[in-house]
Amino acid sequence: MSVRVRQAKRRFETPGVAIEAIAPAPLIRFRQVGLDIGGRTIIDGVSLDIRGGEVVCVVGPSGCGKTTLLRMIAGFVQPTAGTVTFNGQPTAAPRPDVAIVFQDYGKALLPWRTAAGNVALALEAIGLPKPQRPARIAELLALLGLGGHADKYPAAMSGGMQQRLQIARALAQEPTVLLMDEPFGALDAMTRQHLQDELLRIVTDRGITVFFVTHDLEEAIYLADRVIGLAPNPGRVAREFDIGLARPRDQLATIEHPDFLRLRRALFEFIKAAES
Amino acid sequence: MSVSRLAWIAASALVFCVIVAAWQQAADARVFSPVFFPGPDRIWSALHRGWTQGDLAARTATTLGHMLVGWLLASVVGVALGAVIGLSPLASAYLKPTLELLRPLPASATIPVAIALLGLGESMVLAVIAFGAVWPMLVGTMHGVQSVEPRLLEVAHALGMPRRRVIRDIALPSAIPDILAGLRLSLTVALILTAVTEMMAGGDGLGAAILDAGRLMRSANVFAGVAILGLIGMAGAMLLSILEARCLRWRLAS
Ligand SMILES: Nc1ncnc2c1ncn2[C@@H]1O[C@H](COP(=O)(O)OP(=O)(O)OP(=O)(O)O)[C@@H](O)[C@H]1O
Ligand SMILES: [Mg+2]
Repeated sequence: MSVRVRQAKRRFETPGVAIEAIAPAPLIRFRQVGLDIGGRTIIDGVSLDIRGGEVVCVVGPSGCGKTTLLRMIAGFVQPTAGTVTFNGQPTAAPRPDVAIVFQDYGKALLPWRTAAGNVALALEAIGLPKPQRPARIAELLALLGLGGHADKYPAAMSGGMQQRLQIARALAQEPTVLLMDEPFGALDAMTRQHLQDELLRIVTDRGITVFFVTHDLEEAIYLADRVIGLAPNPGRVAREFDIGLARPRDQLATIEHPDFLRLRRALFEFIKAAES
Repeated sequence: MSVSRLAWIAASALVFCVIVAAWQQAADARVFSPVFFPGPDRIWSALHRGWTQGDLAARTATTLGHMLVGWLLASVVGVALGAVIGLSPLASAYLKPTLELLRPLPASATIPVAIALLGLGESMVLAVIAFGAVWPMLVGTMHGVQSVEPRLLEVAHALGMPRRRVIRDIALPSAIPDILAGLRLSLTVALILTAVTEMMAGGDGLGAAILDAGRLMRSANVFAGVAILGLIGMAGAMLLSILEARCLRWRLAS
């Protein structure tokens, strides 16, 4: 590692290659990644660069490997070919600055802990001293609109509130990367729109990099800087869509924008082709 | 407390009164010989006499002590062993066969063995009770820590929680419902074994008193002893219900 740092420094100091050093290296990099399980190829030849602060959405037919790619970044799954790196380091194990928001919020929260207690779990894990926790908890719950619900147990909260709580807990880790696997899939349309906007506001504010898996093509376009389209059998990157839509996004103006409609058509056609 | 709950309590109290009244009628009509079948009036006076003049209160205290200490021993050992076996495949591999062999043994059959090993004293009584009552706790805890929601283990893994904290903050709390169910079952077992052991080993508990009263054909005293055992069981179950309601508050949807 120290060798690499030294090399990077030297490169930075050499005038001839200054440009190369200024262009930011990708935060997350898939290089020719493959995964075989029991003789079956699940992922094949995936190469993908994700820059710091970028919001990347992943779409593709069911079973094409979206969750598997996310779990590789998380360090839960190791590729059998190629490498997945985070800041240049292989993602060998989970790390506190990479937070995950699961789709099944009902299972991902500790039912015997209150909203505050669930956020505290992450604060305990990153080792925040106890006296500083209450203020952090209050701040995070307020950020997600759960200010008045600190003492509620998950069972007493709606689905939208539970998912907000899970996001609050993920943010408590002070992550540089947020991995989200269909986080809003089980929510009603209104709640989903609210949470999309809140998510964008928070991650833009904090410069968090987002890897967001979804089935909802409009959601993908609305949130993303870039949408990755996967094709199945084996899972591979089939197309990338650059979403040039202005930020901040708006549930009316963005969605009615001609570019949005054009992207939506392209994405629909891509998915239809990928599924057939 | 809601109106319907009050109504339920009133109804069950009424049923109890009807049964006692019918029993009194049957006893007064001498349906069975009064030597074997005392009415509630005679049982009540036996209770009253035993409590105020005799040693019934002291014997009840002894029996309660046996049951509670035995049950507590069983709980501590059961939860600890259950957690270890449930969480460690290695411990499970080493310990499970032995435990599977011991588990089906009827606890009452171990009393003679315990007497041979430990004599007739307190330690024997407590050992028998704890041995019999440990299984529901052990099995409950084992099952509880093994059936942790896998998603929660992933959450813990993602947070980089050390194993010790995963056990304390995830595995054990998620086993609480099973542990409580185990506590309840083993309390019943502990009470049964307390009575049986006291009957077999003598001493100054209720079990020996009931047996002695039976031998002397003092049926009212037998029933009085049995009634106290019943009350102990009921009180224990009620206290556990309160504990359960407190511990499982998070399950309620409001
Ligand atoms: N541990 C595993 N063992 C065997 N096969 C697996 C394993 N994990 C994933 N797979 C297979 O890999 C493929 C991709 O799974 P993955 O869950 O990543 O798909 P997905 O794109 O997230 O699907 P969905 O949209 O339904 O969530 C599937 O065919 C799945 O059966
Ligand atoms: Mg998936």
